[in-house]
Amino acid sequence: MKSKLLCATLLVGCAGTAAYAVEKAEVINTYANIAQAAYGDSAATAHRLQRAVETLIAAPSAENLQAAKAAWRAARVPYQQTEAFRFGNPIVDEWEGKVNGWPLDEGLIDYVDAAYGGASDENPLAALNVVAQPKLSIAGREADASKITPALIETTLHEADGIEANVASGYHAIEFMLWGQDLNGTGPGAGMRPWTDYASGAACSNGNCDRRAQYLKAATDLLVSDLDWMAAQWAEGGAARANLMQNENAAVSAMLTGMGSLSYGELAGERMRLGLMLNDPEEEQDCFSDNTHNSHFYDGKGIQNVYLGQYVRMNGEQVSGPSLSDLVAETTPALDQEMQAKLTTTVDALGRIKIAAESGLAYDQMLARGNAAGEALIMGGVDALIDQTKTIERIVTSLELDQAGFEGSDSLDNPNAVFQ
Amino acid sequence: MRHLISALVTTVFSLAALPALAGGQTDAILDRHVLPKMQTLAETTAALDTAARADCTLEGVALRSAFGTAFDAWIAVSHLRFGPAETQARGFALAFWPDTRAMTPKTLRGLIAAADPVVDSPARFATVSVAGRGFYALDYLLYDPEISALGTAAYRCTLLRAITADIATTAAELSRDWSEHYAGLMRTPGPDGPYQSDEEVLQEFFKALTTGLEVNADLRLGRPMGQIGKPRPLRAEARRSGRSLRHVVISLKSLEELSDLLAGQDADLAARMSHGFDTALARAEQLEDPVFAGVATPQGRLRVEVLQQAITAIRTAANEDMGPALGVAAGFNALDGD
Repeated sequence: MKSKLLCATLLVGCAGTAAYAVEKAEVINTYANIAQAAYGDSAATAHRLQRAVETLIAAPSAENLQAAKAAWRAARVPYQQTEAFRFGNPIVDEWEGKVNGWPLDEGLIDYVDAAYGGASDENPLAALNVVAQPKLSIAGREADASKITPALIETTLHEADGIEANVASGYHAIEFMLWGQDLNGTGPGAGMRPWTDYASGAACSNGNCDRRAQYLKAATDLLVSDLDWMAAQWAEGGAARANLMQNENAAVSAMLTGMGSLSYGELAGERMRLGLMLNDPEEEQDCFSDNTHNSHFYDGKGIQNVYLGQYVRMNGEQVSGPSLSDLVAETTPALDQEMQAKLTTTVDALGRIKIAAESGLAYDQMLARGNAAGEALIMGGVDALIDQTKTIERIVTSLELDQAGFEGSDSLDNPNAVFQ
Repeated sequence: MRHLISALVTTVFSLAALPALAGGQTDAILDRHVLPKMQTLAETTAALDTAARADCTLEGVALRSAFGTAFDAWIAVSHLRFGPAETQARGFALAFWPDTRAMTPKTLRGLIAAADPVVDSPARFATVSVAGRGFYALDYLLYDPEISALGTAAYRCTLLRAITADIATTAAELSRDWSEHYAGLMRTPGPDGPYQSDEEVLQEFFKALTTGLEVNADLRLGRPMGQIGKPRPLRAEARRSGRSLRHVVISLKSLEELSDLLAGQDADLAARMSHGFDTALARAEQLEDPVFAGVATPQGRLRVEVLQQAITAIRTAANEDMGPALGVAAGFNALDGD
């Protein structure tokens, strides 16, 4: 019914889709509903994290640090499922770096182990240590950091000197503030920051506990406001949703672009295979907390969500509706079966990594030189992701999202790639 | 890398309704471009290993000359990163670049400091981080003043020979995989292979062309260019051996050959594409800035940017002109993402 109403008001957009029983507009609406719910859950879990951080700072203890860590882990579950929305939607991609920037040179923020080294060719600020210094010098300019605020993090520190490894905000900066460096290499164990890093007076370890608490609080507040903002963009009338509704073919293309780019270049390539080839424990996405298995698993789940038009909310409710799967099945049911099977294979493969990790073999241990079983687990995920990308490309071809669909659209990252 | 790459995300779309050009391109591309160039890579890397065995002096003229010849051969196939290059991460084992976290010097320092015995066995050396293997590790080991003086001469020699032997083995496997296996899969697409139709094969080569152009414009040139007011000349590719601009020229010439073969019998299309390559190559030859050190000044940066624009123009022509003519689209590539 909804699509008929839309057709009545948007005659132009409906002409090409009248032949479909599954309306593209409905599929796009499901997609936007999932984004709204997932970003909403991301914001809600970040608010819980914020309360846990405030408790930790007000009453530092091992228990309260542990509670903050648990809140951080929970917050990652909905957020990682939103990553399938990133690459197809410029409004997300342009914003993403301050929320989920990675990898980071954590010495910018706080104390690090001597083995970390100092400034490098790539990053002169790699060991700046903002927590220890109220006055900073960044690229020849003085900056006042006497009070660490969200504004200082956002405008002065994040990507300071134009270097992307200077990640000062977002999940991974907060992760570092809660866990500290993981100094176990590819051996067992995650970061071991003592709760006394937030203690007051003589109990304070590693100095500047008050400034460290300011940093943690400011970074968490910033994450909350960033996620609240993004959730609003997907609500009725929000910019992200409105942009998608401008052009149906462009919107469907954006959905598939998000699925394919996350599958291939980002997850299979940058986040998984590269770390394996480098045997580098820092090349795991949640390297301080050893939560990487979950981040990868929920990325894979998020890609599947987009295709099937389904999402399980933090309160257990399910968001669902007409899906890409329905749209593909209508014209090429075999291709839909192929896509569904490959998405399942990927989620299973990423699930095997999660099973091993939760049984005690952390993701960074899988990366160790000569760990054949760990390599096989990770490559299982990589191969499945690469394989599903091929089918995503076939769907793009099969849906005939022709060139007219792209004209005048803001949904594409690269206008030069558009056939005029 | 995030901002850089977000501009690179290649969007997919289809032009299934348009007819592909008359066939025959696949055989031509394999027989006149891919297979001979892979053969050259195998031969020149074997010669590099022979040279390292003959003389372990890092400054040796014969060794450095063999390194240059073999590296040239790699750059000429560096756009063919799918299939056999993806298997066992051979592409990365030969060429880990860009190295955004300085992992290559870190890995080499680690091996040398520990006098790691992993260099004694080719099978075990093949398990070492790709950052410590391949041509870019040699660029440091042969030409970096610090790395080339670390540890003992004897260990450096063993490490050098471990790297050259590994390169030669990997290149030989890559070439053999192409000639004995993968070329056949591309000549006869079908439901059981990686390609289901001739169009999918052509799309793979088309993606290699557009991705190769992207690498030249946005990584080989874009990384040292940095942002306006923040040039990063130290990020130039293989600057220690002075090969940065040379790589762009070699790659463009190879991509032009691929473009020409992709155009097949459409002489007008081939000529239009060729015009773009001629412009870019002429600008590259006028640059006279072998490691893009000029990016440090606004004028020098502008000169590099003019070359970058010429390469971007070829990419636009590929997407807007050649893609529709072939009936294929850009698809996803490894540069999508962070």
